[in-house]
Amino acid sequence: MRIASRGIPLLLAALAIAYPWLVPNYYLVYAGALTVMYAAMATSWNLLGGFTGYVSLGHSAFFGLGAYGTGLLVTRLDVPWVVALVVSAVLVTAFAAGVGVAAVRVRGASFVIVSIALVSMMNLVVQGWRSLTGGSTGLQVPSPFPGLHRGQTHMVFFYLFLALLALALLVWWYVSRSRFGAGLRAIREDEDKAESLGVPTGAYKVTAFSLSALFVALAGGLYALWFGSLDPIFVFSILIGSYMVLMSLLGGVRHLFGPLLGALIVAPAGEYFLIALGETQIHLTATGLVLVLVVLFMPDGILARLTRRRAGPSIHDQSADQRLQEVTP
Amino acid sequence: MTSLRTEGLTKAFGGVRAVDGVTVELRDGLINGLIGPNGSGKTTFFNIVTGMIRADAGRVLYRDRDITRHAPHRVAHAGIGRTFQLCRVFPRLTVLENMLVAVRRTRLRELLAGLRDKGEVERARHWLRRMGIEHLEDAEARDLSYGQQKLLELAAVLMAEPDLILLDEPAGGVNPALIDRIAGLVRDLNAEGRTFLVVEHNMELVMGMCDHVIVFDRGAPIAEGPPSVVREDPRVLEAYLGV
Repeated sequence: MRIASRGIPLLLAALAIAYPWLVPNYYLVYAGALTVMYAAMATSWNLLGGFTGYVSLGHSAFFGLGAYGTGLLVTRLDVPWVVALVVSAVLVTAFAAGVGVAAVRVRGASFVIVSIALVSMMNLVVQGWRSLTGGSTGLQVPSPFPGLHRGQTHMVFFYLFLALLALALLVWWYVSRSRFGAGLRAIREDEDKAESLGVPTGAYKVTAFSLSALFVALAGGLYALWFGSLDPIFVFSILIGSYMVLMSLLGGVRHLFGPLLGALIVAPAGEYFLIALGETQIHLTATGLVLVLVVLFMPDGILARLTRRRAGPSIHDQSADQRLQEVTP
Repeated sequence: MTSLRTEGLTKAFGGVRAVDGVTVELRDGLINGLIGPNGSGKTTFFNIVTGMIRADAGRVLYRDRDITRHAPHRVAHAGIGRTFQLCRVFPRLTVLENMLVAVRRTRLRELLAGLRDKGEVERARHWLRRMGIEHLEDAEARDLSYGQQKLLELAAVLMAEPDLILLDEPAGGVNPALIDRIAGLVRDLNAEGRTFLVVEHNMELVMGMCDHVIVFDRGAPIAEGPPSVVREDPRVLEAYLGV
């Protein structure tokens, strides 16, 4: 068991690093980079969703802001791309903290609505502010690697996204082992009870919300540099946010590798449908349908199914009084 | 020394004054009972004291510090712990994780510390042993029996090291053997210096365990004193029996 739990991730990591060299063409490198990007974003989403149970459909707001922030810093201020990426992500995280203070006051369905409203607002702002963002015609961002041809750029970004994914996984893992993480999980289980035990739930939620926005913003920034052209309708779409939710739920929100597994299934499937069916809206319908099915029949995800321990109660069936009779003379 | 003092605490839900100008004072080191008919405002009083609902008027002081509008986690940090009427644990966390949720101070170093922090785990095991449920530390809380969950809830509250513990119906829904055990624990914890305020309908338990009893009726205290005195008080008999 231990060998399996240590060995399999190592093997997968080695496979991921070798992937661009194993596939026969650059299209598959591109599809791989896209998948890894989604995996990083879903893992990041899971810092909030998985620990606290707050389902945000609006994380594409941070993706879009990270993308536009990076793009604007590069095009308008001629900032080096690495600096633009980091500065933009930090600004988006600060913005998320501000939004979080207001957003995490409401729970359950209300929070979902607030998160959707956030994306719609950002979309309107970016489209409306033509002088700065180029509006609905989009923003062109010069490639940071003008010397490389398109396929080589895919390779570079594949590894950049892979590094981001590793970072997001590392942070999730670290939080899951910390007392902060225990507090976040307690919020998911019973927020008022956690508060009564001294957990500052508001501060915890805002921290998780911002942390979760950080890696999504970094992914957005990398996306801007990679694609070189930003379309507000796409980067601020509910679809990207829904993908993060679907991938996490499908793989399993309570597991480190759940969102990654979900991304490995959903992202290639999306690309496949795009090729097989052309530019139709069918993949949107399919995404919605799969999301409904997962929530209805497999809310704990694939990994929960696979790692479920032996059937029956996990402790022997012994009531408190039986136990009492043992300890009281 | 005064442990908890409230002054003119009032809370209305719609037109009903659930808590109506409550002024009470608890002395440090006693087991205090809070009794009264259903709907007399006992749980609302608990909720106001612990910051879970806001009073319309009045003040809450703990050891002469005003904690009236403090958020629940700050009330907990001040040294007040509570259990709930319908026992509340974190169902999908393990017993040990349940214990490690409690936060005594908001310090970055404490929050970033690992869950396997030796000192904290040792403290958790100590309390689980005292409750007699240490053998369950790796089980998920939802797999425990109701009685075991009650013991876990109390153990988790003790992890926050409160000086004053509010118990909302500790004997509710548990069997006689466990009631005796819980009563024994409360007496031991009290002997170690912790103050208690216990809401309970089991009169035998209240009268046998408490040093001081406060009686609520229609949102306000109508009598208080040692159990033997309160038991004979005509106002108390009237509130309970309607005679």
